[in-house]
Amino acid sequence: MKKIQTKGVKISSNKDYRDSIVDILKKMLQSKSVDAVLVPMRVPAKDSYAWILVKDEKLLTEADPAAPIMPIQGARALSSFSRKGQSMLKIAALMRPCEIRATIELSKLNQVNLENVTLISYDCPGALPMEDYLNDPEKGEKKFNDILKKLDFQNKSIKPVCKICDQFSLLPVSDLHFTLFHDQNNTMFLIANSNRGNLVLKEIGMEASHTVSAWANGIQEIKDKRAAQKKGRFTQIKKMVEGFNSLLATFSDCIGCHNCQSACPICYCRQCYFDSESVTSGTDLTMLKAKKRGSISLPQNRIMFQVGRMSHMSLSCVSCGLCTDACPVSIPVAEIFSYVAHNTQKQFSYSSGENKGEPIPLKTFKLEEVKGIQELVEDAEA
Amino acid sequence: MDQVLTIKKSTEAGLIDLLTYLLKNKKVSGVCSLRKTKKQGKFDYALITDPELLHDVVPLHPLMPVNAGKMLSNMIKMEMPVAAVIKPCELRSFIELVKRSQGKLENFLLISYTCGGALPLTATVENKVDTMLPDYGKTVAAGNEFEHIREICKACEYFVPFNADATVSLLGETGADSTCKIFLHSDKAKEILQGFEVEKTEDEFDRTGYDQIRERRKKYKEELFKQIKIQDTGLDGMIDVFGRCIGCHACSRVCPICYCVLCDFESSTYDYDNTIMEQELSRKGGLRLPSDTILYQIGRLSHMSFSCIGCGQCTEVCPSDIPVSVIFRKCGEKVAEIFEYIPGRDVNEQVPVTIFKEEEFEEIGEE
Repeated sequence: MKKIQTKGVKISSNKDYRDSIVDILKKMLQSKSVDAVLVPMRVPAKDSYAWILVKDEKLLTEADPAAPIMPIQGARALSSFSRKGQSMLKIAALMRPCEIRATIELSKLNQVNLENVTLISYDCPGALPMEDYLNDPEKGEKKFNDILKKLDFQNKSIKPVCKICDQFSLLPVSDLHFTLFHDQNNTMFLIANSNRGNLVLKEIGMEASHTVSAWANGIQEIKDKRAAQKKGRFTQIKKMVEGFNSLLATFSDCIGCHNCQSACPICYCRQCYFDSESVTSGTDLTMLKAKKRGSISLPQNRIMFQVGRMSHMSLSCVSCGLCTDACPVSIPVAEIFSYVAHNTQKQFSYSSGENKGEPIPLKTFKLEEVKGIQELVEDAEA
Repeated sequence: MDQVLTIKKSTEAGLIDLLTYLLKNKKVSGVCSLRKTKKQGKFDYALITDPELLHDVVPLHPLMPVNAGKMLSNMIKMEMPVAAVIKPCELRSFIELVKRSQGKLENFLLISYTCGGALPLTATVENKVDTMLPDYGKTVAAGNEFEHIREICKACEYFVPFNADATVSLLGETGADSTCKIFLHSDKAKEILQGFEVEKTEDEFDRTGYDQIRERRKKYKEELFKQIKIQDTGLDGMIDVFGRCIGCHACSRVCPICYCVLCDFESSTYDYDNTIMEQELSRKGGLRLPSDTILYQIGRLSHMSFSCIGCGQCTEVCPSDIPVSVIFRKCGEKVAEIFEYIPGRDVNEQVPVTIFKEEEFEEIGEE
């Protein structure tokens, strides 16, 4: 694993973090270090945020580098621009760490082209649940501002899945990173974490010369707390999904709308297998099942969909929580999938979005695994 | 002339008797109805073949976990009909699907009822159904509006079913506690229920008997429609209303009319080449990603709004709390008016945009 960088550029002391970040992004555009930047912006009605790819630096004044909510996964926004291949434009994308991790996973699935893309992360305190924010956007803005001002990375208002997230800061795959979690002197750093990141710094005339160990220690403290919370929460989630009956009870409100899958950045299939005719058709089979059991719940396969989706995408799940936000019946989908993902990824010593070069486990094999299969076959034959 | 069955039991118990008769005597191959699940306060739709399991059904519960019209359309091939108890709007959506070859009427004995409106999904999620039901029942029996039903239901004037084989009288039925009244309209219903031995009389189902309720609903609808001002504000208004749309397409996924296996707006048509997007970016200085948020909404409006039956599922599932169903009903009604079309009224009435009349060509010539 790559070692965390210990040096950064000191970029602000008294300015609002938003202005400081926007200043840097402007510099990137001005110096032609990048051609466009992808940032969240508040929509005209002021009741949500959208991803805007900005070329005209004047538009950047409206950018909100750390939005209180995550209505659309940044990886999905980037994918919509680059899934058809490498863009001629050099793009810098400022995203939450989980969005960057999803981007890395999508690049492994050929849904994002990372050539010419600079990934910029920041210390993410978590996002507010969409439902809470939509009830009163101004209140949500105020709440999130308070969180950032007080560096309250343990706030109770953030999404449940954010509370157990321990990958909320600089990632091995970040090119650049803004330290929102700063010290009492309001010092914010910009850390370069890759050759590309270093090049950008150079092009905007900056040099990483300050040590950031105080920041790194602070982050580690939060990480430890979050990890402990995660452990506790996972013990509860385990009870919700272990065994068919608990699974059934947990998903008893599911209406089969598949909106978790629509919102999920990893579920990129144009048509989900579970929406295909292999699953939906066949009256004869439906009748047969109904007759065998006396009754059958409709629409069918609601649990199979959940289990199927787990097996399809949990190796790449980044626990961003968009599924829970999108669920019309308030099932804690994200925490459940996060728990399952934690365990499936552990099986392969894999961590989603952590490493660009590491292939998704099911897309590769190791020689000794083939040997294992050979033994199984031989056993079966004997 | 309709045949009226009168059963000296509560409306629900009477209807369950009828369903039990059908299943026990193999008059139908199954019963499709809402039922209680094992988990207290939770309900689902089920296809039931074992008459013993009918004691769990709650056919008249004001719930719509999914639009049953969409559900029935999946049952294409059947030897014997299934008796389905569904809401008038679910029945209307099924009729719209039948027009599109997505379902077969002969596969079902369609039982519907005069509907007092459905509760939002949150009622089930928050476990409020059981506590709300007694009040709901009383309010509906008195012909009044239950305050917690879906907004779009309060604005629904088609609460008396079209095309049902049988109609259970519920709305304004003061004797619902002790008497179950079921009107059999079709020959199919009368024939299937020939051996069902209950009090049978001849009477005409009085569709006009609900004028007061209809007027109240119409008034509410006008108020609700007034809140949507897109027609005055053009594209800016669209951006204001749909700006927070996240493009999840949940509205189309639960919509009974949107039957496409793959929605056009999810097809590769809208995967633009970088060059096209780069041009747009240069022209505007900024580009929303993913794009086509408004295009999707306008597209869906033009694809299906004239067939929108106002079930409200789209609003229920929208993660951005956009009042989708009010917008689609308002727009759809205007379009349907031009064609004197009421979605789901008559299975022989063809979907406006799928047919043309010769005089329409003359009009185009004149213009």
